[in-house]
Amino acid sequence: MPERKVAAYVDPLDLLRRFVPTPLKAVYQFGAVRVVVQTNDFSLLPTASSAASLPGSSERDFEWVLVRDAEATGSLQPPILLTSGKLTVVEMGSACLLGVDQEQRELLAFIGSDVHARTHQEFLVPFLCRLTKESVLSDPFTHLERSREEYCR
Amino acid sequence: MSRACHFFFGAVFRARFGVTVDGIVTITHAFDQKTLPFRTHCTIAGTQCLVSTNSYDVLTATTQLQAFSANHHLPSFEMQILVDGALDALPEHSAYFRGRRHLVFALLPPRSFVAYDLLRKRVHAALPLAAAGDRTFWHSLLLPITIGVLGTVVGVAPLHCACLEHHGNGVLLAGVSGAGKSTLATALGRLGWALLSDDWTYVSERQSRLIAYGLSSPVKLLPDAVRFFTDLATLTPRPSLNGELAYEFDPHRSMQIAMKDISYPRYIFFLERTFAPGCYMVPCRHEYVREFFRKNTERLPDELVGATSFREKIVEMLSACRSWILRTGESPSRTAEAVAEFLQEDRHARA
Repeated sequence: MPERKVAAYVDPLDLLRRFVPTPLKAVYQFGAVRVVVQTNDFSLLPTASSAASLPGSSERDFEWVLVRDAEATGSLQPPILLTSGKLTVVEMGSACLLGVDQEQRELLAFIGSDVHARTHQEFLVPFLCRLTKESVLSDPFTHLERSREEYCR
Repeated sequence: MSRACHFFFGAVFRARFGVTVDGIVTITHAFDQKTLPFRTHCTIAGTQCLVSTNSYDVLTATTQLQAFSANHHLPSFEMQILVDGALDALPEHSAYFRGRRHLVFALLPPRSFVAYDLLRKRVHAALPLAAAGDRTFWHSLLLPITIGVLGTVVGVAPLHCACLEHHGNGVLLAGVSGAGKSTLATALGRLGWALLSDDWTYVSERQSRLIAYGLSSPVKLLPDAVRFFTDLATLTPRPSLNGELAYEFDPHRSMQIAMKDISYPRYIFFLERTFAPGCYMVPCRHEYVREFFRKNTERLPDELVGATSFREKIVEMLSACRSWILRTGESPSRTAEAVAEFLQEDRHARA
């Protein structure tokens, strides 16, 4: 996949870069979880076949917001995970900071400019899938739903 | 307290689309009552904070803050702080902040990671030993950044203003970056005014009155300020958090400036530098004050509805303060004297 430069985002009233536009959107099916991915960089979209044709939204939808941060440099550091209740946050240096909120069913990540598309696809995407899967599996609602499905079957 | 968690190690994880991940060793910290057995309560900029930690250094640092009675108040927010000696050995990183929706991440030197959850009003921090017991880290970084990030959801609006007190009246000095707020605040401090803050002031409402808090943070002045304050010549400018070379100093220790934690703002000056000599105070309309603060405050995400309306209420209260645009082409000390004289005359006139 070709590397694409992401334009630097400047807003003096948004020092945390909360409002970086993420106009690219795709839908994926990872196991039982339908993931809606939003990003500002085409190379951050997972290279799995998208499931955009799936109708409607599902109770198991999860949202990923992957922001390519043009200002963050450096390579990925060994991950440090902090988990507290419904929230898991991960730090890999400024190359990648992410948070998974089980209750909000969303994963937010800032990914530095030096993280290559291949590293992202081969390391980060599976890592994000794993975090998402664990988050969904530990969701009591999902357990209840699965039990009901199994009972009906 | 840390454990090397072989998160994927050995047990190869295959994502659905066939990518293999293995050999990743991760430090995992689960924050709960077992890993954070110590608890204490403290007050930070008028907000009440429940701190959970595994570290005596953190307990010591928080006991230097004002305590509050947990029997009578619910905490405004929680800080879960885990100290891990393993972090001291990792490579250093520079300060870095990012946020999206209700989550904010901060990497702080030395080797600290802090995550803010604005919906649940919780702070999760992994600190190295070098940071846990370092007063400068607490007062220059962790506390100001925590209240800066979390403030609007716990009832304290961070404003980019200096704040001083004179004769029992709080005075806010506002202005765009580089206008000279810190320099004028230092000059007023040397005239005997008490200093709350030279850069960020945390403003709240108590019994329908504005109340301003400072966090005893160091004053930051750019290297050219040595022209006006010769005492700075004994200090060495160092790179500050935003990369600027600056003097950062304890105003009480270095210049015997009196410090205060709390004041009630009554006056606001909007500082504007001019090349023309003289020092002029131009009265401000309420609309000017409102527009200035609305245009110069951080954008907040839609998810934080209460935070936006709270800050709007504070801006509305600020617009009722007596306010002037302060246009000056004079030195900081001359400007400070002019401000002091002006307010004295104003008080006499109103008396």
